[in-house]
Amino acid sequence: MAFPLLSLIVFIPAAGAAVLMLLRNDDQVRWTALGVTVLDFALCIAMLAGFDTTTHEMQFTETRPWVPALGITYALGIDGISALFVFLTALLGWICVLASWVAIDRKVKEFMVSLLAMQALMLGVFCALDLFLFYVFWEAMLIPMYVIIGVWGGDGRVYAAFKFFLYTLAGSLLFLIGVIVLYFHGGETFDIRALMAQDLPFRVQSWLFFAFLIAFAVKVPMVPVHTWLPDAHVQAPTAGSIILAGVLLKMGAYGFLRFSLPMLPEASLYYSTLMLSLSALAIVYGGLLALAQDDLKKLVAYSSISHMGFVTLGIFTLNLRGLEGGILQMFNHGVTTGALFLFVGLIYERTHTRSIADYGGLMKAAPVYTTFLALFALSSMALPGTNSFVGELLVLSGAFAANLAVGAAAVLGALLGAAYLLGMYRKVALGPASVGVRFKIRDVNARELVAILPLAVFVLWVGLYPKPFLNIIGPSVRHLLTQVHSNGGGQ
Amino acid sequence: MTAATLFQSILASLPEIVVVTGACILLILGQLVPKGQGYFLVWASAATVLVAALATLLLAGEVRPAYSGMFIADRFAVFFKMVFYLSTILTFLLSRKYAEIEEIALSEYYVLLLFALSGMMIMASATDLLSIYVGLELVALSTYVLTGFLRKERRSNEAALKYVILSGVSTGIFLYGVSLIYGLTGTTQLDGMAAAVTGDPLDPGLLLAVVFIVAGLAFKVGAVPFHMWVPDVYEGAPTTITAFMSVGPKAAGFAVILRVFLNPLVAASDAWIIVAVIAVVTMALGSFVALVQDNFKRLLAYSSIAHAGFALFGVVAGGADGIASVMLYLLIYAFMNLGIFGIVIMMRNGDFSGEVIEDYAGFARSHPGLALLMLLYLFSLAGIPPTAGFFAKFYVLVALVERGFVMLALIAVLLSAVAAYFYIRIVMVIYMREPEGAFDPALTLSVRATLAITAAGTIGIGLFPAWFLRLAQHSAFGG
Repeated sequence: MAFPLLSLIVFIPAAGAAVLMLLRNDDQVRWTALGVTVLDFALCIAMLAGFDTTTHEMQFTETRPWVPALGITYALGIDGISALFVFLTALLGWICVLASWVAIDRKVKEFMVSLLAMQALMLGVFCALDLFLFYVFWEAMLIPMYVIIGVWGGDGRVYAAFKFFLYTLAGSLLFLIGVIVLYFHGGETFDIRALMAQDLPFRVQSWLFFAFLIAFAVKVPMVPVHTWLPDAHVQAPTAGSIILAGVLLKMGAYGFLRFSLPMLPEASLYYSTLMLSLSALAIVYGGLLALAQDDLKKLVAYSSISHMGFVTLGIFTLNLRGLEGGILQMFNHGVTTGALFLFVGLIYERTHTRSIADYGGLMKAAPVYTTFLALFALSSMALPGTNSFVGELLVLSGAFAANLAVGAAAVLGALLGAAYLLGMYRKVALGPASVGVRFKIRDVNARELVAILPLAVFVLWVGLYPKPFLNIIGPSVRHLLTQVHSNGGGQ
Repeated sequence: MTAATLFQSILASLPEIVVVTGACILLILGQLVPKGQGYFLVWASAATVLVAALATLLLAGEVRPAYSGMFIADRFAVFFKMVFYLSTILTFLLSRKYAEIEEIALSEYYVLLLFALSGMMIMASATDLLSIYVGLELVALSTYVLTGFLRKERRSNEAALKYVILSGVSTGIFLYGVSLIYGLTGTTQLDGMAAAVTGDPLDPGLLLAVVFIVAGLAFKVGAVPFHMWVPDVYEGAPTTITAFMSVGPKAAGFAVILRVFLNPLVAASDAWIIVAVIAVVTMALGSFVALVQDNFKRLLAYSSIAHAGFALFGVVAGGADGIASVMLYLLIYAFMNLGIFGIVIMMRNGDFSGEVIEDYAGFARSHPGLALLMLLYLFSLAGIPPTAGFFAKFYVLVALVERGFVMLALIAVLLSAVAAYFYIRIVMVIYMREPEGAFDPALTLSVRATLAITAAGTIGIGLFPAWFLRLAQHSAFGG
């Protein structure tokens, strides 16, 4: 067996969490957590360095029997799509640690343990090549996230944690039934690669498609099962919001890519119009809601719904540009919205208010902060030269090819995005310096800058030179498309 | 009966004989042991169980029918007996300090538990409706006395009375079913029943008999509509006995249900429809009513009703996987439920009852380690991976879907989302609320040991279910 790189990547944070339990000093806890996440990130870079971008095959695979009686294996492996998200998860991992450095001042140890456990589970989801293993990681994520929101969240944290838990649990359980049905129809195996090769009858595919859809739609979240998201986001601590926006929301879209499309190609093609309409609805509806918000965090949360609409839109165009754009947009959304939540957190730490009306003229008090905020706001509204521009352009061109009306609606959503983001920036950063009078604002410090800079680098890197990123996902996306169209071609 | 067959029979029932003999000896010794030497009784009782366990393992190699087809020692019985031993020993360990605090540390307490254990063992091995009845009653009588052991407490007396009356009625129903079977087939042996049916296996008389037997057994596992006794009895009984009853006798009830349902006669009738309806209603009632409970013991009572409903889904699924899924479920349930009960029992100290959920507010702040254990047991009961509770439910669902009961699986899954709500509510109370008073758990060494064993089981089976799954499947085929 080859070097178990992926196992290391997945379990180093878990081992780190175990080590943290033994520590007593808060600062020791912080530095250890940072060390563990940085080490994990370094391993991910090594993984990318050794990643073969010419093939769609799963790489770094590991397989061991786990529950042989039921055909369950411990199987890890990544293709281009998962590689990108493994990398994103590890990147946001240490940024989350930095973001909670002073923001979390009670039960630091427990918080960092939850954070690291969360990271291990998320990485596990992206690496799992066994459906059962995938489900275990997928569902176990609920525990640390529930605790993170519920213990360290804002005033309404208990309600938000509950709502988050029950929505995602109910969705996931339907997915579980779908998984078991798939197991019996797919030759009694949980091996994802073997299941992709199965050709299921259309009727079965349809049922499974909707069982999966409910689970994934809750995670994405798609309208109308999105209502847990604003609550969870607003109440969660900064690091929790970053994880939610950066990685957790990607799980749903990843589910579509990994299961719905390749395993249920006929159904995916058949119901793609429905999915496109739902996505367009999410884009416009989320944009309108964001436009109406006065709470900074809520604004970013609703903008997430809109942006994730672009992701699902891209995926269900089922053409090359749309799919590539959707996946790239997942990565971009992780970077950009993660950064925006970080910025909301930074300003909240200083002022303890999130109401946009309370701010104004921040530019004078915190020039570095507002400069970077401008960059991420522009990235979020997909200005050329930033990462989201590339993603949205690909998605839109795919969408127009797939369905004219949906494409038009998406353009409207993009316009809305410019409206609420520019409005937000104007009210927060520009104008007379009312904020400096009421609050003592200091600009970002070195530690915060360390968290911000890599995100800014990715915004510009993807924006100006997206080729390396598209290279990573390219072969996998093309293979995915062949799977969908050759197997589902009958429709 | 020749001497040789008699010897074979004695050999097959050696574990039962060990337990009964041990109980009788302890009954006498208990009167002689001076006060303050209570630990002797605990260890002697535990030793008895361990000897029985050893005997069971030594005899596990082959199938031994005994007492002219009344009794059998097979792998199926061995599996269940191991669950019984586990729950009894853990109950002993949990009882020691609790019994002292409640002033019920009499020798009869342990002796009665041993008698209940022997009854459960007979139930697991019984292959005749009459020997089933003997086991059933032995358990019922012992637990009835134990339920009323808190003599000074009114609710304990009330619970005991309620239990004995309702249990008596259910036994009557069961016996009526047995007499109908005997009248129609001329035998009470499970094996002989199907063979003895000369006419239509769907004879309404036979169906009626099966319904009566199912009803009698449904009472024992606390399934709707015979669940009414469960919350009151569980709340009134000493918490250690509640813990024991929710695991041991319930598993024994399922052992009998499975034996009866393995029977071709029952399999040929449409009894599974009845069981499916019972399972759905049981789980729904347990889950929904648990939502509004403030008392921890009552909540766990309803939760155990819900879990019985879930395990019944495995009975509905039937077949080798269905049976194995129920067995694995019961084993895992023993670990996680005794774990959570262990916490509740440990909290009973001084004036603190540990029974009101609100009392646990902020428990995580004062006792992070114990709170983490509670978190583990509660998430396992809710069926969240990677705990054992998830695998238990998963395997039942696999068995259901395998037989094509996707709708039932869907219902089971949605109801467990409801059930998850009240477990998570407790997590919320212990983690997300400020503490109101100081906690002083009665954390003795034996309680620690119990919590360690149950935690190891809950997490261990969750991460490495393969061995336990094989064991359950292997044992199920032997039935």
